Amino acid sequence: MVDVMKDRRTDFGPPHYERFLPPIIKENYGKWKYHEVLKPGVMVHVSETDAKLYTIRAASGRLISIDKIRMFCDLADKYCDGFFRFTSRHNVEFLLSKKDNVNPLIEDLKEMGHPIGGIGNSITSIVHTQGWVHCHSAATDASGVVKCVMDDLIEYFTEMKLPGKLRIALACCLNMCGAVHCSDIAILGIHRRPPKIDHSRLRKMCEIPNTVASCPTAAIRPATVDGNPSVEVIEENCMFCANCFTVCPSMPLNDPLNDGISIWVGGKVSNARHEPMFSKLAIPFIPNNPPRWPEVTTAIRNIVELWAKNARKYERLGEWIERIGWPRFFKMTGIEFQKEHIDDFKHAGLTYKRSTHLTF
Amino acid sequence: MAKPVEEVADAMFNMVKDAQGMKKLKPMDLTKAMIEFFGDEVDKKLCKLAIRELIESGRCVYTYFGGSFIELPHREGAAND
Amino acid sequence: MADLPNTPLLDELEKGPWPSFVKEIKMAAKRNPMGADLLGQLEQSYREKIGHWKHGGIVGVFGYGGGVIGRYSDLPEKYPNISHFHTMRINQPAGWFYTSEALRKICDIWEKRGSGLTNMHGSTGDIILLGTKTDELEPVFSDLQKIDFDIGGSGSDLRTPSCCCGMARCEWACYDTMALTYDLTMHYQDELHRPAFPYKFKFKMSGCPNDCVASIARSDMSIIGNWRDEIQIDQDAVGEYADKGMDIQSDVISNCPGKCMEWDGKELHIDNSYCVHCMHCINVMSKALRPGKDRGATILIGSKAPIIEGAFLSSVLFPFIKIESPYDKIKDTVDKIWDIWSEEGKNRERVGEFIQRVGLGNFLDAIEVEPVAEMVAHPRENPYVFYEEFYEEDDGEEEEEG
Repeated sequence: MVDVMKDRRTDFGPPHYERFLPPIIKENYGKWKYHEVLKPGVMVHVSETDAKLYTIRAASGRLISIDKIRMFCDLADKYCDGFFRFTSRHNVEFLLSKKDNVNPLIEDLKEMGHPIGGIGNSITSIVHTQGWVHCHSAATDASGVVKCVMDDLIEYFTEMKLPGKLRIALACCLNMCGAVHCSDIAILGIHRRPPKIDHSRLRKMCEIPNTVASCPTAAIRPATVDGNPSVEVIEENCMFCANCFTVCPSMPLNDPLNDGISIWVGGKVSNARHEPMFSKLAIPFIPNNPPRWPEVTTAIRNIVELWAKNARKYERLGEWIERIGWPRFFKMTGIEFQKEHIDDFKHAGLTYKRSTHLTF
Repeated sequence: MAKPVEEVADAMFNMVKDAQGMKKLKPMDLTKAMIEFFGDEVDKKLCKLAIRELIESGRCVYTYFGGSFIELPHREGAAND
Repeated sequence: MADLPNTPLLDELEKGPWPSFVKEIKMAAKRNPMGADLLGQLEQSYREKIGHWKHGGIVGVFGYGGGVIGRYSDLPEKYPNISHFHTMRINQPAGWFYTSEALRKICDIWEKRGSGLTNMHGSTGDIILLGTKTDELEPVFSDLQKIDFDIGGSGSDLRTPSCCCGMARCEWACYDTMALTYDLTMHYQDELHRPAFPYKFKFKMSGCPNDCVASIARSDMSIIGNWRDEIQIDQDAVGEYADKGMDIQSDVISNCPGKCMEWDGKELHIDNSYCVHCMHCINVMSKALRPGKDRGATILIGSKAPIIEGAFLSSVLFPFIKIESPYDKIKDTVDKIWDIWSEEGKNRERVGEFIQRVGLGNFLDAIEVEPVAEMVAHPRENPYVFYEEFYEEDDGEEEEEG
């Protein structure tokens, strides 16, 4: 331990981004004039100096090995002087100043198994969380579900045949490390069984006032169990958010019989046309069915294709649903509207239909 | 008159020690307690330095249980050998 | 290196056109036994439909209270190589630009001291190094120091700020997102590494209202580029779009939420005083239209995912401010927000929830910001106003005396 503490630095922060910008970007920083999408996954940015920067966007699986990063490095060295970047949705992007390198690089990426696309009116990579690969509170796997959904929807990544953009995100529990709540389609892992309390360990591992305070619906109260201080859960008040489990590891909710996936639709973050909106519940529960989650991929394809077929140009999923109305959405998708769809948390009344503006 | 950082850190340490196993304390809990105890001889800035002293002397560690706390170093329940 | 375990379920995820994370784990497993045990445990999770991780809360590097997420297998006898499998968050360079040289160095460190698995990137924006032992945390940090990469945030601290690529590669950037991100990250190193807040605090910087980093949905302070003068129009280029077959009326005008555009077949007119700055027309005619020249940002506050009080979108704090170094107005406001929220916020209460609890009006008082109509979608609909003062009969006389 002594040697690693020698000459130790702290609070020096990340390296300055200028160290990683290719010369063409340094020269044209803040001078970009316009861009055009040339073909799926390829765009060109044109500067006021007439410089042209070609971007190639390729899918990446978020969970990648150092072997893969080194392969990306090799490609960057071969085609773009060693410079490349990642996007906010886990795609890898290569930035080229030489147009002749565009097609050879695309061929190499495809050869490596990384489809090109995700630009323009397409589905880009799914933002997601860790799932069973690395998370303690996951109600489903993340990488596996994402892989299955994107395998199924690949044509919408590699082509630009949708009315507008479609953003899918997955979070493996309500903590939503991925903040999926404003996505066109959100895949959300949910628990459905109240926490199983390990009273013997709770005493040592958890602080009771914090655990009680953690519950959004006040379903947890202090209790004496076998003469020892612990907590009890009023089970009918539990909505399975697992906030207590985050604060107190002796209250696990993970349960193979009751964990699964819910599907939410119609959210967006961009301000284009409609203001940003939250995703709304479409399908309350689909059981986990690894390794390929066929019920999830079918349900999502159904929604994507109905939207693709019926939406107007540029209309995002939520804008389309708002125009046609939710009753028609449920009718068209064949999803049964049930009790779970009706909000019963704070300010739920604001989500009730409060007019006669109905279609028949 | 400002209190020496070490003295505030010692007082914080005693507070953490006494609360260990009963209540997890956050940095702001310690800061508020010090301001109440020492009055205008301490302020938030001084308390920040005292917390840093507390951690960097190895007497306390940061922990996370759905929020960050300051505790005595200990073996946690989830740890494997 | 050890043989890979038998994983019939996971092998199904090597099939298909999308990049396979199972292939990635198998690549890493060829070099490091952690990968083989990860495959084994994950296959078991797929079989049993349940995760096998325990959440650790103490591990970290000396002196820092964030950036390391403790993780332990709950089957350590069966999968001893992932008994400890901690995550390290490494503060990414702004905009996620890299050189192969820098990333190769990170790979070398992670080959020597970890599982060889990463996320490029995590949700907050950091480089995620996935899976190492407690004893390796300090050596990894030591190695990272030599290549100038520091650890990012986690827990109740400032989370690693992140941004879109802004002026580096986008004509719509209304301010220099990468410069602001770097500046705030450096200015608040202490808050980033030593958790002192009630809960996490996130900054996200987007260069324009398209908001490519989803700042409005998932950051306590959303700094979204905007302009306040006229959209720049190149009428010839508008004509070219029309000539090439764009239906300007239905594709552009009908989609304008401000209903402030007209097209007479020759010229595009915009009544900029009614433009809501949604970006749609600029997005679809990027050669013809550009944001105005008087650029800055709208600052919004309080968004978050559902836990605890429900999901929030950020709401307007400053309708428009100029974003220029040294960013004093932002820092001054942030300091005041952190001051009041740190003092009065409850454990795990995000700024947005704190504002809901105390009321936006009271919050504005505390941070010394005047209320303006841009902050609300509409004024209150209920008459339950908490007036703080009222007059007594003799108030007038006292005033005269004073």
